[in-house]
Amino acid sequence: MNDMSDAKTVTDAKKRYSAGVMKYAQMGYWEPDYTPKDTDIIALFRITPQEGVDPVEAAAAVAGESSTATWTVVWTDRLTACGKYRAKAYRVDPVPNSTGEFFAYIAYDLDLFEGGSIANLTASIIGNVFGFKPLKALRLEDMRLPVAYVKTFQGPATGIVVERERLNVYGRPLLGATVKPKLGLSGRNYGRVVYEALKGGLDFTKDDENINSQPFMHWRDRFLYCMEAVSRASAATGEVKGTYLNVTAGTMEEMYARAEFAKSLGSVIVMIDLVIGYTAIQSMAKWARDNDMILHLHRAGHSTYTRQRSHGVSFRVIAKWMRLAGVDHLHAGTVVGKLEGDPATTKGYYDIFREERNPMALENGIFFDQDWASLNKMMPVASGGIHAGQMHQLLTYLGEDVVLQFGGGTIGHPQGIQAGATANRVALEAMVFARNAGRDIWNEGPDILRDAARTCTPLQQALEVWKDVSFDYVSTDAPDYAPTASVAM
Amino acid sequence: MSSTAPVPRPQSVDLTAACEASSVRDILQDLDRSLIGLAPVKARIRETAALLLVDRARRELGLASAPPTLHMSFTGNPGTGKTTVALRMADLLHRLGYVRKGHLVTVTRDDLVGQYIGHTAPKTKEALKKAMGGVLFIDEAYYLYRPENERDYGQEAIEILLQVMENNRDDLVVILAGYADRMDRFFASNPGFRSRIAHHIDFPDYSDAELLQIAQTMLDAQGYALDGPARAAMAEYVTARRQQPHFANARSLRNALDRARLRQASRLFEAGRGPLDAQALSTLTEPDIRASRVFRGGLDIDRPSA
Amino acid sequence: MRLRQGQFSFLPDLTDQDIHAQAQYAIDQGWAVSVEVTDDPHPRNTYWEMWGHPMFDNPDAAAVVFEVNECRKMHGGKYIRVIAFDSTPGWESIRMSFIVNRPADEPGFRLVRQEGEGRSLRYSIESYALREPEGRRYA
Repeated sequence: MNDMSDAKTVTDAKKRYSAGVMKYAQMGYWEPDYTPKDTDIIALFRITPQEGVDPVEAAAAVAGESSTATWTVVWTDRLTACGKYRAKAYRVDPVPNSTGEFFAYIAYDLDLFEGGSIANLTASIIGNVFGFKPLKALRLEDMRLPVAYVKTFQGPATGIVVERERLNVYGRPLLGATVKPKLGLSGRNYGRVVYEALKGGLDFTKDDENINSQPFMHWRDRFLYCMEAVSRASAATGEVKGTYLNVTAGTMEEMYARAEFAKSLGSVIVMIDLVIGYTAIQSMAKWARDNDMILHLHRAGHSTYTRQRSHGVSFRVIAKWMRLAGVDHLHAGTVVGKLEGDPATTKGYYDIFREERNPMALENGIFFDQDWASLNKMMPVASGGIHAGQMHQLLTYLGEDVVLQFGGGTIGHPQGIQAGATANRVALEAMVFARNAGRDIWNEGPDILRDAARTCTPLQQALEVWKDVSFDYVSTDAPDYAPTASVAM
Repeated sequence: MSSTAPVPRPQSVDLTAACEASSVRDILQDLDRSLIGLAPVKARIRETAALLLVDRARRELGLASAPPTLHMSFTGNPGTGKTTVALRMADLLHRLGYVRKGHLVTVTRDDLVGQYIGHTAPKTKEALKKAMGGVLFIDEAYYLYRPENERDYGQEAIEILLQVMENNRDDLVVILAGYADRMDRFFASNPGFRSRIAHHIDFPDYSDAELLQIAQTMLDAQGYALDGPARAAMAEYVTARRQQPHFANARSLRNALDRARLRQASRLFEAGRGPLDAQALSTLTEPDIRASRVFRGGLDIDRPSA
Repeated sequence: MRLRQGQFSFLPDLTDQDIHAQAQYAIDQGWAVSVEVTDDPHPRNTYWEMWGHPMFDNPDAAAVVFEVNECRKMHGGKYIRVIAFDSTPGWESIRMSFIVNRPADEPGFRLVRQEGEGRSLRYSIESYALREPEGRRYA
């Protein structure tokens, strides 16, 4: 691919900086011989050039527009070490099994960025360039964040290890449920759902993304009744319990006030929505670390830019930014539930959340080796259309360090919320027990659940009610590379 | 919590197939090949393996229920292969499914018995726990019992051992080892042990011819050889060494060969003439053997206790 | 009231065979297994009494079952749990925890509410067993 363009960087300074318009590739944004430095940030874009636009020139244009370039030559470049500040497109590959799409690798010098600021990073990488006319579509697929840059971020306020220590829960996924209906419950009724679910066996309940402070339930009412419910459930079971109190609000001042109130009532966790913005998220992460609080992030809104395969930002990139920004929980897909999630792609997300180091794995959509430099691990949250009957699949796909959220699967139980929670907890414990004891849970899962249900009527009922529920749709975001494919670097 | 569904009982068993499946035959053949002499020991192990295979088959058919007692005593003089055979025995028991892991933990009195009150029980339990899933080999077991000192902590270790040997029969096999006569006296004064030990295997001394063969095998493994006169000297050495104190069969041979290699090295070094070829570097000659004090009727200088 | 801490408290009590299977899983992962006992089951009572050191060098879980039973002889009327420590970088924490013994009668916890300003409350929970001094609880 590197020979597909005849563009050569113009090296004669007089020609290079004479006023006028010049191809981006000629301006120095295309360097096929460039070897990225260990400290470079690398971005991988999927580019779809307009008809007749050379992919190399398109890649160079992306490099230019996301770093130093403007539409015309400016002499003031010569007052700077512009060779250093120019982003360098260094490789362009056609996307396998698709026409008109290309993967462009672009390296950025570390000095282009302010440390510890997702806002600054994104202002460059996805700032202007996504509206650039010569491209039909553009998607940021993955990024390699150098250790030197990773170290400028706080990372998850609590992390999986300390979250488990605080909750005193080890060796099994955590269980949660979102209170339903999403909207309309009064504070008093809302707390009832929380109490029943926690007493029945869940570790967490959760506000939904759009529960803030509405006429039917003002936020203080919700917090007060929820904490009564959490404390009662804790006394009834001898366990640490929590409910994600959503502190999302119109201003930082208001969010801090709500978070402080949650803390004063003894909550172990607060929640925010992705729509509050990167800087607000980083501020709340700092607050959470300063106040011994777990920070749950609901990825509200992400599908507007993560879902389309040809345009936007991949969720794996959002996941990387959020690990830097410092949230503890983030939704990441269920594979088997009602929301988007191809198994191989989802594995890639989970690895970004939970591993110390991600080796390149094209079959999981991971394009670069990524070292997390001992940043805490993020707890993935699996939510949306999952139920006890899928426990063996959930444990196999998602592993142990995950919050499984059974909203409908708890509250919709025919014998009530407590019974629903108990069914989920028994199914979970039986499955973990069987896996540890060496059983093949993938194949024997239904038998294991049936056996566990012999001494647990609520589980029996749950298995009966939801026995036929599954969501088999074709995924819109499968990896481009088959598991065996290897791509020469 | 676990509910094991009843498995239908088979009507017949195929011993040959069971033997192949557990690769017991491999172990027995390997034992034959790799251990020189020890014919009675090999025969006893073969019998034991057969017994265990049959016992397992009987339990599969529901003819027997309790797992057999497997604790053993290995008696014989030092250097007669007791530890080596214990390793193979652990492997054999593992392949037959009588122990879960098949490792061997070797201990002596010092590893089991403490110096002060409250010290012994944790030490003994620690050793037993390490050996669980495998075999605990207690060398010179009779030192645990010191009747001359009634406050000796060895008695505490014995009591714990007996208890675990009885209650945790599924978890480990204990092998007590030592000189035959002293083991006999030990069992006579500790009937608890006698009754819990099902298999006694006696390790005879090696014959002169066997020892010479062992010497050859050891040298082969190290890439050395004896020339003709050296071999004759070695044969004489074996006969003479046996008459002297602290004779320890194969172990004495190993020590003798180690010293012969030292002498060969200094001989080559001091001669210091010209380049040496591979053969010169790997041949032990008659003087390397004859320099031993054994030929002068005396105890060999170092390692007097070996 | 049944104390719900640990991985398997919603399942029927574990048999020795079950304990062996779970502890063997931990050992096979390379984790050190430990036995701990308490008469103060408050969910934030982090430090239960250690029944000996974590078992770093025991390849077979029979050693764990053995210690659990030794501990039961002395503390049969208290809570006993088995926990597994993982020393690998990035973890260096507990990876498993399950209860293997509990008192015959579990009185549970009292919720204490302290009224504050407005509608605010401060909550604490107390084990009923803790009304008795250490050593005389669950007698």
